[in-house]
Amino acid sequence: MILVIGGVGSGKRDYVRELGYEDSMVADAVMDERPVLYNLQNLVFPHPEKAMDLFDALLEKDLVVCHEVGSGIIPALAHDRAGREAVGRLCSRLAARAEKVVRMVCGIPVILKEDLS
Amino acid sequence: MRILLTGGSASGKSTYAEKLSLLLPPPHYYIATMEVMDEEARKKVIRHQGMRAGKGFITIERPKDLGGLDFDEAGTILVECLCNLLANEMFDREGRMLDVYNKILDDLEELEKKSRNLILVTNEVGSDGYPYGPGTQAYIQLLGRLNRAFAARFDSLAELAAGIPLVLKGELP
Repeated sequence: MILVIGGVGSGKRDYVRELGYEDSMVADAVMDERPVLYNLQNLVFPHPEKAMDLFDALLEKDLVVCHEVGSGIIPALAHDRAGREAVGRLCSRLAARAEKVVRMVCGIPVILKEDLS
Repeated sequence: MRILLTGGSASGKSTYAEKLSLLLPPPHYYIATMEVMDEEARKKVIRHQGMRAGKGFITIERPKDLGGLDFDEAGTILVECLCNLLANEMFDREGRMLDVYNKILDDLEELEKKSRNLILVTNEVGSDGYPYGPGTQAYIQLLGRLNRAFAARFDSLAELAAGIPLVLKGELP
């Protein structure tokens, strides 16, 4: 599994296309048989406490794409805080198991991790 | 050596900071700056205490005025975190804003003198682009300025993303 993270508008979707995945292969925040899961954060936010339930199924994907949501002011609402904490922790756990981790910065893929085996 | 660790919320900073501390010589002091005001904060403190349990950290709870701390022996100090420290220092009980830039730089310099190694954890709070009110904007600005000042002064700087450290300056142990 390749994990792709980045802020809003950082170029994640274009990068997915560059890797050869057509839009029809991309599931937007739903778990189904498609190989690319996009907007992981939107799957986590409604039920932050259940984030880890997604873990095993996410490892089966070719690509998991998630917004980086932790680099702003800590939200005033407890539910919002729990959501971004859960997204960050889930991404850290996924990154530990991913073959490759990419972070998009201004449209440029920055490789954070790559297993060469 | 002096290390600044930054990154967004839940990016793996605490876990990594503790791991780095333990690679440096004892005694290991852990300065917790978070004021426990509610149940959520209490849970966070308990989670962090659990992570540190059995690792030999000497925990010192100190929401502000870190310069006045004294230590039995110069060792490795982990300060967690600058974002809470700044909030505690810059807003008084009545919510008034104080100019604490130099005070925080000086207080941390005291810790540098009293330790052999210092790891300071901070946070990235300026990347959501939301137009906050003046108090919050001032906080974001000041944390950014402090981050830059410590990054310039310290030996090493790393950013955590999804639990992975990116070394931006110097080397890590």
